[in-house]
Amino acid sequence: MSQPILEARGLAKLFGAAAVFSGVDLKVDPGEAVLVSGRNGVGKSTLIKTLCGLSASDSGESLIFGRNCRQHRGIERRVGVLTHQSMLYPNLTARENLEFYGELYSIPSPSTAASRWLERMDLAAASDKRVRSFSRGMEQRLAIARAMLPEPELILMDEPFAALDIDGVAIVADLIRDSIAHQRAILITAHAPLDLGAVQFTTYELARGRLLALSGPSPRERLRSLSAG
Amino acid sequence: MGAFAAILRKDLRLELRTGDSTITLIALSTLILLVLVLAFAPDPQRSADLSAGALWIALIFAGMLGSSRALIAERENGCMLALLMAPIDRASIYAAKLAAAFIFMMVAEAASIILLMLFFNLDFGLRLARLLPVVMLGGLGFAAVSTLLAAITSRTRAGDLLLPVLVVPVFVPALIAGVKASAAALAGATFAAMAMWLKIMIAFDVLFVVAGYLLFDYVVIED
Amino acid sequence: MKSAWQLGIGTAALATMIAATWMSLVGAPTEADQGAVQRIFYFHVPCAMVTFSAFGLVAIAGALYLWLGNQIWDDLEYAAAEVGMVFCTLVLISGSIWAKPIWGTWWTWDSRLTTTFILWLIYAGYLMLRGFGGDTPQIARFAAVVGIFGALDVPLVIVSVRLWRTIHPAVLLTRQNEHGLEDPRMVAALLISMAAFTILFVWLLGLRFKIIRLHSRLGGLKREMALWRAEQGGRA
Repeated sequence: MSQPILEARGLAKLFGAAAVFSGVDLKVDPGEAVLVSGRNGVGKSTLIKTLCGLSASDSGESLIFGRNCRQHRGIERRVGVLTHQSMLYPNLTARENLEFYGELYSIPSPSTAASRWLERMDLAAASDKRVRSFSRGMEQRLAIARAMLPEPELILMDEPFAALDIDGVAIVADLIRDSIAHQRAILITAHAPLDLGAVQFTTYELARGRLLALSGPSPRERLRSLSAG
Repeated sequence: MGAFAAILRKDLRLELRTGDSTITLIALSTLILLVLVLAFAPDPQRSADLSAGALWIALIFAGMLGSSRALIAERENGCMLALLMAPIDRASIYAAKLAAAFIFMMVAEAASIILLMLFFNLDFGLRLARLLPVVMLGGLGFAAVSTLLAAITSRTRAGDLLLPVLVVPVFVPALIAGVKASAAALAGATFAAMAMWLKIMIAFDVLFVVAGYLLFDYVVIED
Repeated sequence: MKSAWQLGIGTAALATMIAATWMSLVGAPTEADQGAVQRIFYFHVPCAMVTFSAFGLVAIAGALYLWLGNQIWDDLEYAAAEVGMVFCTLVLISGSIWAKPIWGTWWTWDSRLTTTFILWLIYAGYLMLRGFGGDTPQIARFAAVVGIFGALDVPLVIVSVRLWRTIHPAVLLTRQNEHGLEDPRMVAALLISMAAFTILFVWLLGLRFKIIRLHSRLGGLKREMALWRAEQGGRA
């Protein structure tokens, strides 16, 4: 069994004097899709930020490709993150946004890659319109494209389906299916467990500061079976 | 180098597209100069000193507004986060922001200089040629200090009020040197005559560009 | 809770301050040109010395904090800045009191006083940043950077202000006989004062540092408690 791409052990994050979550154990293998569900305000966004190293954890650690998540050097192209903020420049066009990030990520021929992604996210018609004129759904799709642009091996998305209409959901679901087929690792958060047909999610729920496994073997069981076999 | 160029190009494109900052700044500079002209009726004796002072007041305002805007625009929508996650040197971000702030200031300064020449009936030509390098040295130093400090204040409560409080005292050496050298240039002095002021400005620029470059990492680490 | 060290330094501070006061007011002879007011010199100069040392310490502690990450350096830095500001203010006030009888104005744009004033502004900004920002490691990092910037600026401020002053001879008011202390008793008074103020500074720094340190450690303990409580809650 290959090494998990993302592994969190005993992860805890405080907010003031209270813990947002603690004792979080989580693992995402290549080709695995993980879903963390939870109510609004329970800390899903904080969890994603702490898992990928954007926020420092107060206890425990999160390892990406075996290294501490705070050490970004060298693995930036291999991790794609979607947060609540779009990370898009409102006064640039969709194409300009993608090309800019393409340049930063040293993608060969950024304009071709940009066109491809705009096509795929059904934004081709709006590619030369400024992001500030986009609807929430369009912005979300473009933000996802931005995260996926460097073809990362690990993708973390905070509520990717929020604000999407049925067509948008279908596009993103297809994207997830495709990524899993390519042995990428995906972790998304959502309000409630999703059924995406072909994709089998390992689901967890974040509630009252703890992460509970809802389906699939729990991380501990999985670890135990790994060491046994 | 690539990242620096990409970010700078992006910032310039954004500014050209919206242009509201530049226009506001030019308007603000004009008003400042107007007030000074009204307060101190142009007097040939004191023209050089007055013009120099006016120019540098405008420069400071332009600089602070410019740096704040450059960094706040980045924070909008979490773009700064995206820059930090990208496989680029933090130093490139600093250099690009510095360059953008500097260019922005120089544009505003150019407008101010033109207005100054008109309001105070100064003659163009050699004096202007000597004035420009002085203003550019000052602008570079200011951009260096203010880019770094704006990165701090843009994430602090009452940050926009705090920025001038932090920047201006630190900028004093370059300010003194800049105003004096500008006044000398406008009065017709040669570079040799203002050598000591120029040396101070160059030392200031080198010191703070390097310090900013080295310390920038510490002011943008997200938590 | 007073440690022996603190008591020792405190006593030393008191003793030397008494000695310094006596020497300044009585021991040293009255200066010919300026009269009794000149005695402020024995207060003003040591305060200035302490101020510059304090702000130097801010920069060094700040650099160590950024480099090593240990909270203790941040606490030391903060304490040094606060105590430094007190002495900086005293320099300005004593300078002003000195100026009035001698030159008839409350303020002179003397190069040293001006430099101190700029310094005062820089560190006022530093303290405002700390005040507005609160207690986070982020603010600690920001403050360290500002402290370092300030310290780097000081030599340039000194040079530029001095240069600025020398070209305005009409407004310049030279401070006379400052280092022309002829009488050995004056020199003694100055040295004793310097020693006294240094020890006083160390004592005040120690007090302030202790309080800030306790505050930081309390914060650390609260965090640990929160984590522990969360762990316990999960196991229940």
